[in-house]
Parts: sequence; structure tokens; C-alpha cells
Amino acid sequence: MSKQHKQAEEYIDIDDEIQTTAQQTGYAWEEEYKRSWDVLQEDEDGSLKRTVENLQHRMKRKKLFRDTSTIRRGIIRHIFLIIDLSEAMMEKDLRPSRLELTLSYAEQFILEYFDQNPISQLGIIVTRGGIAEKLTDLTGNPMDNIRVLKNKKNTDTDGEPSLQNSLEMARSTLIHVPAHGSREILIIMGSLTTCDPGDIYDTIDSLVKENIRVSVVGLAAEVQICKHMCKKTKGIYGVVLNEVHFKDLLFEIIPPPPVSVAQSKAELVIMGFPSSVTDSMPSLCACHSKPTTNGYICARCNSKICDLPTDCPVCELTLVSSPHLARSYHHLFPIDNFVEVPWNSAFTTHCFSCQMPFPNATTSLLGTRVVTETSGRYKCNKCNQHFCIDCDVFVHEVIHNCPGCLATTLSIK
Amino acid sequence: MSVLKDTATVNEDDANLLVLIIDTNPLIWTRSAKSTGLSLKEALRHLLVFINAHLALKHDNEVAVIASHVDVSKFLFPIPTPPRLSEDTDQVVDSNLYQRFKVVNDQVIGNMKDLFEDITTLNSYPDKASSMIAGALSMALCYINRIMRADEIGHIKPRILIISISPDSPYQYISIMNCIFSAQKLGIPIDVCKVHGEDTVFLKQAAHITGGRYLKLQIPQGFLQFLMITFLPDRFTRNYQCLPGEEKVDFSASCFCHKKMIDIGYVCSVCLSIFCHPLEQCSTCRTNLILASVNECGLKLVNGIKKLDKAKGRESGGST
Repeated sequence: MSKQHKQAEEYIDIDDEIQTTAQQTGYAWEEEYKRSWDVLQEDEDGSLKRTVENLQHRMKRKKLFRDTSTIRRGIIRHIFLIIDLSEAMMEKDLRPSRLELTLSYAEQFILEYFDQNPISQLGIIVTRGGIAEKLTDLTGNPMDNIRVLKNKKNTDTDGEPSLQNSLEMARSTLIHVPAHGSREILIIMGSLTTCDPGDIYDTIDSLVKENIRVSVVGLAAEVQICKHMCKKTKGIYGVVLNEVHFKDLLFEIIPPPPVSVAQSKAELVIMGFPSSVTDSMPSLCACHSKPTTNGYICARCNSKICDLPTDCPVCELTLVSSPHLARSYHHLFPIDNFVEVPWNSAFTTHCFSCQMPFPNATTSLLGTRVVTETSGRYKCNKCNQHFCIDCDVFVHEVIHNCPGCLATTLSIK
Repeated sequence: MSVLKDTATVNEDDANLLVLIIDTNPLIWTRSAKSTGLSLKEALRHLLVFINAHLALKHDNEVAVIASHVDVSKFLFPIPTPPRLSEDTDQVVDSNLYQRFKVVNDQVIGNMKDLFEDITTLNSYPDKASSMIAGALSMALCYINRIMRADEIGHIKPRILIISISPDSPYQYISIMNCIFSAQKLGIPIDVCKVHGEDTVFLKQAAHITGGRYLKLQIPQGFLQFLMITFLPDRFTRNYQCLPGEEKVDFSASCFCHKKMIDIGYVCSVCLSIFCHPLEQCSTCRTNLILASVNECGLKLVNGIKKLDKAKGRESGGST
């Protein structure tokens, strides 16, 4: 539970700051005891159903609020995933063990990352025994990354991690990334200590200078150096509470981060849109030198590539297909949050998009006025259609289209 | 969400939810009736037989019908408060007809009539040549989401069938793509039957990306037969069917400035707009773009060509 103090004398000022914030919020064990059962109230039938529904409702709603302003985001991302493989990862406080959970979440993370950021790249670095080891270079192919994680030899644990070595290794690759792409490092850290050859503050300063954003997910307790590093590089630092929270923290990294105009330059990137070919006879592909019949032909150099999106191995042209670009559009044009409809204007009978009947105001006013707090209706401010909570969540998290705006003429004009 | 994910694995005794999206653009249907003889009325008769056939395959099969009209997308079946049901149908109970077929048929026809009688908004839509297919798709996905959420054991396997006649509307590109990707993520195949006119590129991509089927109707008189053979088989049966060779899907990009098809384009790194020539300011997001990088890329291009020449030289040296 305690915070790690490495080189404590340098830290005094920062530590003070931490303590003041801690006093404001208080430690969990110092907080006033919450009587969670007071929230529950029986309705006139003696049933808790309605209260429980309300609570569920609020929980769903809490997840929803997100930033919908159209801000500039770093769509073309370059990220290094640094996985701690020290002995601390063998702890079994997360089930089945920190390591196994990390690996399975890392795999999900990689798939989801490429799903949401199709023209981005990702590489993996592991650190153990005081050294860092690069498993994959930056690549646009999710399967390459997952394959190395599946290899048992790559995921043995040993000794202590080295934060500095792995950061330096990631930095040395990321500085060559073109200026229009974002540079990021994500560290999954199980250990509370690190074994560094030099002064890690120099490394952090150089990371700041190179605009590299470092985010850390800690599996044990808050570590001062990680917090300091994330703060300096404008990353996110989180310590997991449990398995589910671990996943939440990890997946927070998936939507492309906002970038300031000064931070990254806008550039015109040359991209090729290759045509697909199906040959009757197999021929060698340029990327793996394997005989294949299906493939894509690079628009510039005519070499054959197995899969998109990728960089042409011969002429280094970025090759994508138009759906890959389209997949990123929803980050650029997010839809507005729906607003809750108060009971007095809740005149609709059913959800616009899924036809689910809404709760009726009159039936819930039985006897002793046990009205549900919410009317269960959520309104899009553009098209004024009402939606149920499930559609609200689904529309914002999955479809990224407002069915009301698209299905009525009002909003098109 | 986890419930939705295992829609990918199908079993023989799974129930099927078919969401049928009918493009009801009256202008194009009239055109279709003139040129090929297949009018909306005729097509609807075929479709109702098809829907009944779908319901008859398994007792727990479900159907939903959405109209994608010129100005609005609307549910035709099921609707929460069916007013027509009580007026018309209750008096006439046809003993020769399975009640469920009758309910579906009456509601679809009745609601379709309502839709066509209400022509007040018809003139307001700027793009009359098209229909609100993106809205209909979004509604279909929401509806499927609701049904899947209620179905805890993952017994219902959804799919979407679009009866399309209108050409693509460029207004709707992004929203249609969003729908396609969500369908892909949830494992919902989108089938497309193009009844009249040119192939639609968007919907062809939809079928390709989601693993659905795309059919361009060649013989309009045989509409029902094509529906029955191509789109009636459920997702389990489809594993055992051999389709004729897959058609090429056009994934080429067109530039935002001239709508030209291009092989190599310049993409704005901020908003991903595609241009066919280098610009100083992005016309979509108004960011000033640095041309230096194009020069850098140009350098790369030169290097690439050099490499290519070398490679070619080696190749020709090796082969001859």
C-alpha cells in the first residue's frame, strides 16, 4: 500500500503535493462509512425491483459521458507496448496470475487497438532480468504481435524489470517515426522497483522533448516515478483495483488521444490504394516470400503484398484500402451525448430505434408516488428523437451514428 | 456485448432473426416498373411470400421489416402499437391462413400504405435519387441489439437483408461505413439484393466486409426464386453451400477534390481526406499542411524507384 520512495530527497516537493491531494479525497479506509443499503427503498409492493433498475440505469449512464467536441486527434499512431516480465508478475493477486491475465488482456488490447486504429502501428518490448528485449518492431499487423506473445519462450519471467532500458529502446525507434504520427508508450508494470543503469530523469526529459506520451498501468501499487513520468509526458497513470478495472484502464488507451496543434505537424501523407489480384498460379509475395494466389499489388512498385494495411516492403509506400480510412472517421466526427428527458416532456411511447416500449408516467404514479427518477428516455439534441438507455449506450459505443438523425430529413438540411 | 459476440458460431437449431430493409424510393420503383416490369407492389408480394417462408422454416424464427424511404426510415413490422390490426383484420379470420403470416402481411402492407399516403415531407429531401439506407441500417442494428440483449442464451442468430434499388448517396458514406463496421464487429452478415439499376459500391462493400451475400437481380420476374435460393438459407445452412466464384469488390479510393479514382493519393494526416494532388491547406479540416513532408515522401519515392530498379535488375538478371 505504501508509496515507493526512490531517491527520496529529490522528491520532497512532489510528495507534499501528493499528500495535500490525498487529504482532500482521503484514503479509502479513512472515508466515512457508506451505508449502501440506505439507497435501497422498497416501493409500495414491497419490491426492490424498481430501485435496482434505477441503480443499473445510473451505472450505464455513468459510463456514457464522453468528450464529444470535435478535437484534433492523432489518428496515425505509433505505440510501443512494454510488458514487465519480472518475478513480480508471478504474483497471484489477479487471477489466474498477473502474467497470464496481462498476456490475455494484451492480446485483446492489440486486436481492439488495430480495429479502432487501422492505419496505426504497434510494437512490443518486454523487460526482465534488468534488460529490455524487443519482441516486435513497429508493425501494422496484429497477428505478428499476437504470435510473439503466444510464444512461451518470450514470456518467461526473470529478475527485475528495467524501466529506463525499455524506455530508451522504445524511444530509439519512436524518434524515427514521421512527425504526423503520434508517439506513445504503454507500460504494464507489475513490479514496484526498477533496475536502471543511469538517471531515469534524463530519459524522461528526452521523452518529453521527443513528444512521446507514456502511459502506465500499474498492477501493484502507485509508484512515484511512474506517476511523475506520466504527468510529465501527459500520459495516463492508473493502478488496477481488480481484473475488470485492469481491462478498463488498458482499454482507455485505445481511442486516439487528442493532440495539440503545436505537438504534431499536419502533413500530407502519400498512401497507395492497391488493387487486389487473384492469380491462377501462386507467386511469391514480397512481405513473407511465400507462394500465394491472392494478394494486393502495390500501386507504385507492383510488388505483391499479402495483407493490408501495411508499408510496402519494397518502396515503403503506406498501403491501405479505403475502408481502413473510413474506420477511423468516427473518431473525427463523434456524435453528441444524448440528454435525459424529464418526465413532463416524456410523451413518446417507444424507443425510436429499437421499438422498446418506454415506461409510462401514469403507471408509475401508483398510490404513493413512487416515480422512477428517470423517464428512461434520452433525446438527441439534433433530431429530437427519444431513445432508450440501451440504444443510447449502443449508439455511442458501437454504431457511432444517430439513427434518428439519419432516418429523418430534418437534420440533413 | 459478450452475448453478441458469440453470434459467430451457429448451430442447426438456432432461431434466426431476419431484419429486412426494403428500399421504398417511389421514384426509382416507378422507373423499375417501366423498364423491367417489376413494380413495388409486385415485389412486395414476392417479399411477403419470402417472409412467410422464413417464418415457416422454424417456429421460433423472427422477422423485422424496415422501410428505407426517400425522407424517412420506419419500422413496418413489428410496431409497438399496431392500430390497423384491430380495425381490419379481426373481423376476417381466414381459417386457411396461419395467423402469424396474416399478422405480418397485414401489418407490413398497412404500414407501407401509411408511409406512401404521407407525402408531406417528400419534397424537403435534397437527394431524391436515394433513400435513407444508413438510418434504416442503424435502426436495424439497434433492434438486433435489443433482441440479442433479451436473449440470454445466445440462441437467436441475426442477419440483415437489404432490398436495394436506389443508387449510393455520397452524403451517407461515413454513416453507412460505421454501420458496416459495427455489423462486422457484432458478427451480423448483411445480405444485399440489388433489384434495379447499377451495382451499389457501398452495399457491395457491406456484404463483402460482413460476410453476407450480394446479388444483382438479373431476371426481375424471378425475384421470388432468387430470394428463396440465395437469401432464405440460414447462417448454419450457408456453411454447406457452395457459391459461385466471388465477385471482385471495388475498394479503390476516390479523391475528395475531383472524385477521381486514384491509386496513389495524398492523405491529410489530421482528417484523413484523400487528395489527388498535394495541397497547402486541407479543404476539409482547414489545417495548413506541410509540403515538406511530401518532398520527403518524394525522396522516398525516388529511393523506392531506385530500389525497384535494382530489384528488377536482379530479377531480370536472375531469370534470363
